Amino acid sequence: MTPRRRALIEFILDNLVWLMLIVVLIVFSLTVPRFFQFGIFANIFEQSTFVGVMAIGLAIVIISGNLDLSVESTAALSAMVTGLLFATQGIGMGITLGADWLLIPVSLAIALLVGTAIGLINGFLVIRVGMSAFIVTLASFIWVRGLVVAISGGRSAQSLPPAIRVIGIETVLGIPLLAWISVGCFVVFSVLMARTPFGRYVILVGGNPNATFRAGINNDRILWAGFAIAGCLAGLAGWLLAIRTSGATANLGTGMLFNAFAAVVIGGVSLKGGIGRLPGVYAGVLLLYSIHTAINLMGLPAHFTQMILGGLVLAAVLLDTLKLRLRERLL
Amino acid sequence: MKRPIKAIIGAVIAGAALVSPGWAQDKGTIYYMVPTLLDEFQTESVSAIESFLGQVGYKTVTLNADNKTDIQQSQMNDAILLDPDAIVIAPVDFNALTPSIERARAAGVPVMIFDRQITSTMIDFTSVAGTVEIGHVAAGEIQRLLSERNGAVRGKVLQVLGDPGDPYTLDIQAGFEERMAEYGDVTIISLPAMQWEASNAGSIVSDQMLANPDIDLIFVHAAHLAVAAVAALEAAGKKPGDVMLVSSNGAPVGLDLIRQGWEQVEVEQPLYAQAAAIAMFADKVVNKQPIEPGTYEVLGLQSEVTIEAWGPNIKIPGAAITRDNIDEPRFWGNLTAPKDPITPVE
Repeated sequence: MTPRRRALIEFILDNLVWLMLIVVLIVFSLTVPRFFQFGIFANIFEQSTFVGVMAIGLAIVIISGNLDLSVESTAALSAMVTGLLFATQGIGMGITLGADWLLIPVSLAIALLVGTAIGLINGFLVIRVGMSAFIVTLASFIWVRGLVVAISGGRSAQSLPPAIRVIGIETVLGIPLLAWISVGCFVVFSVLMARTPFGRYVILVGGNPNATFRAGINNDRILWAGFAIAGCLAGLAGWLLAIRTSGATANLGTGMLFNAFAAVVIGGVSLKGGIGRLPGVYAGVLLLYSIHTAINLMGLPAHFTQMILGGLVLAAVLLDTLKLRLRERLL
Repeated sequence: MKRPIKAIIGAVIAGAALVSPGWAQDKGTIYYMVPTLLDEFQTESVSAIESFLGQVGYKTVTLNADNKTDIQQSQMNDAILLDPDAIVIAPVDFNALTPSIERARAAGVPVMIFDRQITSTMIDFTSVAGTVEIGHVAAGEIQRLLSERNGAVRGKVLQVLGDPGDPYTLDIQAGFEERMAEYGDVTIISLPAMQWEASNAGSIVSDQMLANPDIDLIFVHAAHLAVAAVAALEAAGKKPGDVMLVSSNGAPVGLDLIRQGWEQVEVEQPLYAQAAAIAMFADKVVNKQPIEPGTYEVLGLQSEVTIEAWGPNIKIPGAAITRDNIDEPRFWGNLTAPKDPITPVE
């Protein structure tokens, strides 16, 4: 096989999910009435923001060989804390600061701190105590959601002040600011994962922790960072979610864990760790929300979304297996 | 800061008023099976039922099923073994609980249904607003709003349901569409917000405002979904009143949206009256005395008790909340607990 052909095959295999996304968008544009318009594509970008940001952290933890099932509840907690402190209706305390511009950095910092704290608790129990990441984060998924209900009393906080809501309303070049934030996150973390020693260590630790330990890499530090980033990004997702919905309800974000997992798997991240690229995950998120949007426009019963998403995850895993076999045979 | 402080003070006063009084809780224990606590209506129902049953002499133990039918079935089975004086249940699934209800009644434990109607088996007492009727009230109001805007009942309505697995939302849809069926000039687009999650409702509204920019009115099946719908409208550059909004359940956030001008009508479920009716008839149910059909006044609302195939049934009228009557304390969304003591029906 010539090097050029080999490179082409490798490129196609690495970017299969992007090809799937393009095919799906073309098919929907041709078959779903009113799908092909700039506003709908902007909506897809915007709607994929929350799961997209959440999926970055989840992917990093999974690539490092662990698991974080708590991201959805963590996002809900940071959304509720944001709503509780700054919303002016419902249970919102409507805290005001000296200057309106302070509201964004202060509320963001609080949301990120909340998320990071949950991530560090998970990290402590997994890395220091040596408990299974599956069990620890499953427990966090449950107790953190319980905490959301406890601090809200099941009530909702609504109407964030305009100084914060501006993030959910403004557009840049016709694309919602929220979407730009998720694109920015993907760019920053893709560079971090692909072009820095930290990113390479995450992949190496996930692929073979014994080898990295022997090579003198501090595995624990990488894992700590992974959990902290996942928590922090879940906190960011929650903050953005609160802004989008202008507050928080106790069930906000329910079901997003499945979508984040689906995006990660469709994006080509191996659940065994050590394999995965964040641009693929972003393509996975966009693919999911293209399908959601098409189903909204077609007026199909929502159950179809779940059936299609389930089938898509299965197809992605199957494709991943085929890719590995093809790579072994051809390259 | 004034509004939130007022809101907090209001909530505290309402909460304090609903705190179960210490007196007379000596008639026994009643279990209340609440379907979920992720919903303001259900959360407030716990406070109301515990308070009102306390006023008529019963201690209430509340169990939350987290919206899971199997958990509620298990809770029923456990409660039966504890031999309570009665069980009040707001079923997660209207029909799946039938065997558990029959088991309870066979064991001598009377069962009362709160808010979500079961008609497939005998029930000792049912207190409902009627979810189908909420759809009817919403349809009447939507016909009025369309008529005022378009000169006749015509236009395009986006109906945002809750989770499609929840019979509550399907009943409202059935009632609404039944009353709208005769108006052929009204196009109804119905889409569900999976798991009653607010951002799902927001996404539906964003997409539909692009696909169908001529939507006149959005009807959402819960007030917390209306908030996300408003956020989506705001992001789409709409101003209050550009697209009319109707919601149901009467939660505080829905009332706030009416005050802000975004929402025109909130169809309320008379939560306090539904809970008060449970307390008013608790003695009759616990002592297995017959309940007479007729009109009863429940917290000032004329409510009709009928004897149905499934047992005594009180239907309390829901109300349409608009800017004109929004401040009336009878609406639970104002979180002003009723001051009048509950008197058991003799």
